[in-house]
Amino acid sequence: MDRPFELNTTISNLRDLKASDLSPYDAVYLGNITCRLYEANLLEHPDDLREAIATVKDQGLSVYVTSYAAPRNDFLPKLRKAIAVAVEAGADAVEVHNLGVLKIVHETHPGLPVHIGGFANVYTDAGAEVLKGFGAVRITPNYELSLEEIGQIQRQVGLPMELLVHGKMPLGISDHCFLLEYEEAWGMKCPDLCQQDLFLKQGDWAMKSVGKGVLSGRDVCMLEHLPHLVADGYTRFRIETVSESPAYRLDVGRVYREALERACGGTVDMEERWWDTLRRHARIGLCNGFYFGKSGMEYLGVRPDAVASALRRPVADATDYQPEGAMR
Amino acid sequence: MIELLAPAGNLEMVAEAVRGGANAIYVGPRGWSRRRDAFEMDDAAVRESIRIAHGGGAKLRVAFNTNMQSAELAELLRRMETFVGYGADGAIMTDIGAIALVHQYFPDLTIHASIGANILNNADVAFYREIGVSQVVADTKLTLKELASRKEQLDVGIEILIHANYCYTYLGKCWMSPYHRLERTTDDAGKDLFRGSPNRGGLDYRVCLEAWQLYSGDIKWEDRVALKNDAFFLLEDIPHLIDMGVHCLKIQGREYAVSLVGAIVKFYRDLIDAYEACPKDERFDLEPWKARLATIQGDRDSQRSKGTQALLAEARIPVGAIRSR
Repeated sequence: MDRPFELNTTISNLRDLKASDLSPYDAVYLGNITCRLYEANLLEHPDDLREAIATVKDQGLSVYVTSYAAPRNDFLPKLRKAIAVAVEAGADAVEVHNLGVLKIVHETHPGLPVHIGGFANVYTDAGAEVLKGFGAVRITPNYELSLEEIGQIQRQVGLPMELLVHGKMPLGISDHCFLLEYEEAWGMKCPDLCQQDLFLKQGDWAMKSVGKGVLSGRDVCMLEHLPHLVADGYTRFRIETVSESPAYRLDVGRVYREALERACGGTVDMEERWWDTLRRHARIGLCNGFYFGKSGMEYLGVRPDAVASALRRPVADATDYQPEGAMR
Repeated sequence: MIELLAPAGNLEMVAEAVRGGANAIYVGPRGWSRRRDAFEMDDAAVRESIRIAHGGGAKLRVAFNTNMQSAELAELLRRMETFVGYGADGAIMTDIGAIALVHQYFPDLTIHASIGANILNNADVAFYREIGVSQVVADTKLTLKELASRKEQLDVGIEILIHANYCYTYLGKCWMSPYHRLERTTDDAGKDLFRGSPNRGGLDYRVCLEAWQLYSGDIKWEDRVALKNDAFFLLEDIPHLIDMGVHCLKIQGREYAVSLVGAIVKFYRDLIDAYEACPKDERFDLEPWKARLATIQGDRDSQRSKGTQALLAEARIPVGAIRSR
């Protein structure tokens, strides 16, 4: 990679791709990892996937084709087809979350760069080493890992680690879409059900539901930690926008593009307008995921006031925020 | 003959499982398995478990089925060497790096891929076989057709959970619990217990069972959403599983009372023996077994329900406010 960093994002279908301004990004992951029935999922529509790859490449961006987080036997024929299309159409890499799919890719397309996704459960350097032997060139470690653990894997294995720096972090994947139970009551059919920006809430807990997938209610936000991430040698950054609007994708991407360019230039200043943008798009608030070894919904930072939710409840109120190292 | 594998969260349970007729028993060294540390064992207890199991003609497997930290791998190998020296018959594991290392250093040890490995397709099985696994626990969501396909296509031992709960999510692919509460605590041996993260060896707060409300924006669409989490008892499938040539029927429940685990083990032992003794040209009547299971199921559901309420309450307690146990 000849650029100082790569900022990438995720898109599930052609409609979303055509509606998105990708100018802040260097690369795009195509396809929805959660559900085969997701609206026009590129992994299920080879012609759409071919067109999507060409569209992204025409913009001068790198293009990666992702794959399912939990594929059963009956997923595999379509997935093999999607991977074949990715190769034919000139995708730069495929992303795999399932180790069986990794084995298939390694055997059928030796030499094809493989990115390991977060559901592949890379927790240890020894695990990353095993996957390197199967063609992995980049790894998104499991989301439960702290930066300290991720750093150890990167140093030991010598592969770049990709970090989710903003967006809703995957929390789980199911074979069952409970939203289907509400088709009649809501007068709405699949695949529209999971497009309704739905949140599971109880007290101050919240998770986003996309049917078979569960995401964090709060947006992971590592904006103010970018200078440290850059200094620690991380160069691949993802803004997870698979369940977000084109406006979110563009606005949040612009903030991170600017912040990363500044961080790579050695500047650490934060712009007030960046926080305004992130506040506006975060429906529930912000968190740091597991990067600091704490509960995933916590936010640790020097700007708790900057992350108040655009909705009613401030995210970083007194019960959420604690200085690093403090115990509640 | 198909193997009946029983859980044990303490020495009394090991003895009860042996008495009940288990062919094999699994225990977890403290901090290294997918259960709360209260249901795991120190090294001396693991050694005694092996002695009790072997004395009763049963095998003893040690569950190292967490996703540990890179820095803990050396300690994992030391502990494995200790347990292999004690005579452990196999290791139940999840982390692919740990599996590869253990296979490299202990090539004769049978490695069982845990339910947490979430092995979903035949290519998955082939991957795990390539790194040293010889038996796999099938994911609870697989159908009999999928299992049959696996058995036909691959020379691998298959273990089936017959008495457990379906999680809403795939096991091993869920971190809802530590998203809400993760407590980093190290035990006397220096092992991080990761309370709140089942994948990393801590307890699971079962937050999926919370009384979730469903919102779109500020509008409440549903007042109570149930994320499916049913108990399952594969009573009617057991004859098919035996005929299919499945290697092992596995029971979950290290956290239950000793007497309940004993009753569960005895029930399945009697069922398997009765089915295997039944002439193939005769119909095997499951009705009396259903009635007997209903009593066990009631006790089990009651204990699990109390456990869930306690876990959800604990999940709301601020980190640091719970004294180490």
